[in-house]
Amino acid sequence: MQINQFIVLFYIFFWVVRINGCFRRGRQPLIRGPEWFFNVPVQHGFYTGAGRKILHRYWMRMFIPFAVDIPVAIGIFLSGHLLLLNWLIAGLCVLIHVNHSYSVDLAERQAQPFAAPEAERPAASMALSLKPRRLRDYADRKVEWALALANIVAFAWLVRYYLAAPEHHDLRLVFGVPVFLLYLQIGMLFVKRVVVAWRTPVPQAQAAEHMEAREETRKFYLRLCDWNRAVAAAGILFWPIEMSASPASLSRLLSAWFVAWMVIAVAVTLWVEIRRKQLVNVALRALPVKLPDFLHQSEMARWPVCYQPSAPMLMLKGAHGYSLNLANALAPIGAAYMAGLVALFALLRIGH
Amino acid sequence: MAMFLTIDTADPRPIYQQIADGIKELIARGKLAEGASLPPVRQLAADLGINLNTIATAYRELQKDGLIVIKHGSGSVVASCTTTERSRDELLRPLRTALTELVLAGVSSSKILNMVARELSMVAKEGK
Repeated sequence: MQINQFIVLFYIFFWVVRINGCFRRGRQPLIRGPEWFFNVPVQHGFYTGAGRKILHRYWMRMFIPFAVDIPVAIGIFLSGHLLLLNWLIAGLCVLIHVNHSYSVDLAERQAQPFAAPEAERPAASMALSLKPRRLRDYADRKVEWALALANIVAFAWLVRYYLAAPEHHDLRLVFGVPVFLLYLQIGMLFVKRVVVAWRTPVPQAQAAEHMEAREETRKFYLRLCDWNRAVAAAGILFWPIEMSASPASLSRLLSAWFVAWMVIAVAVTLWVEIRRKQLVNVALRALPVKLPDFLHQSEMARWPVCYQPSAPMLMLKGAHGYSLNLANALAPIGAAYMAGLVALFALLRIGH
Repeated sequence: MAMFLTIDTADPRPIYQQIADGIKELIARGKLAEGASLPPVRQLAADLGINLNTIATAYRELQKDGLIVIKHGSGSVVASCTTTERSRDELLRPLRTALTELVLAGVSSSKILNMVARELSMVAKEGK
């Protein structure tokens, strides 16, 4: 099979997975029963009145990524540059999650005027766990060693390969992709650190249930980060093998690589879907409760980005959605990382 | 038992006081041992969704009571019990106030003793 055929196969697989995701997201507003709309307890008759329209609008917004995907994909197929499908998939992954988060937040805000009266009252008492959490508590030493070893071996191999005949090898070609993949791994470690450190109060009435749901969710996202790191490390390890392969064996090597990719992608997708279902069951045991807003965040966060040093949370919940608080130390680090990613792209000119 | 810091909107105490008292309780119960690090002011404010100055005031109160040591640049740690320099009289004052309140409320001495014993068993270090 040709590389292009594998990419098309992967794109078809991506579509199949998305259809399942669409159904899952479509059911999400009603997952707690007809008295709820996402995490908002609604008045009786909500779904036959205003709620019907809000729900339909939410469902329609789920199709936005498809509206972007279909014309772009047609353009790519017509142009014949099928490698661009990889970038389309990467872009759509981001778009789907951003669109979903925004749609849920918007739908919940639209449903607030129809919330049951008791939902308006915030919980009187809230609790915050002070139990120390460290990144190493959530790390598997064997996995960490394996990833570190894969990176070191691959780079050592590449250095040796390049130094063997520096005049015949392009530095950017030899090290470009591995450096990019290493940078992605560093980004994933940063995300892991944020996920481990992230704390928010829970209602004291159901503190144990909320803490359990959060711990399970935390472990799930950390595992996803590790999966991504493993994929990037495998990519780095494969690069010198590909570089050193003879033209005759390269085609077979690439085929084996893509088949392995597909098998792993199917296995991970199944694992993610099973884990999601388990997480939903855990989350359903903890009833969503409005917590007191001591900072009057809706007045502080009027724009998507704000600077509030006295309220050092990363995200403030404003009246019109979330606002990124630049006063939080993580915001400039994240911005620096993204700037570094753009600079790296420019430096390596990946895609040219 | 989990290491929870609680804030109650129905509690008449100001929030900084609730936080300071909550940390004191964790220290008394041995959940926060001597030398244990406390979350930095900025982080705790972000986690609780509370103004930075509220947490700073709570930490200052704990420092004033000799329960924590604030090290600029490296965070705050729970102080050694021997570093508490408050006099016996100073320590007894809040107990006397609370006992006076109970006596004025008409609670009998035996009931007060039972209440004190029960509260002490909840507050004192586990296993002691």
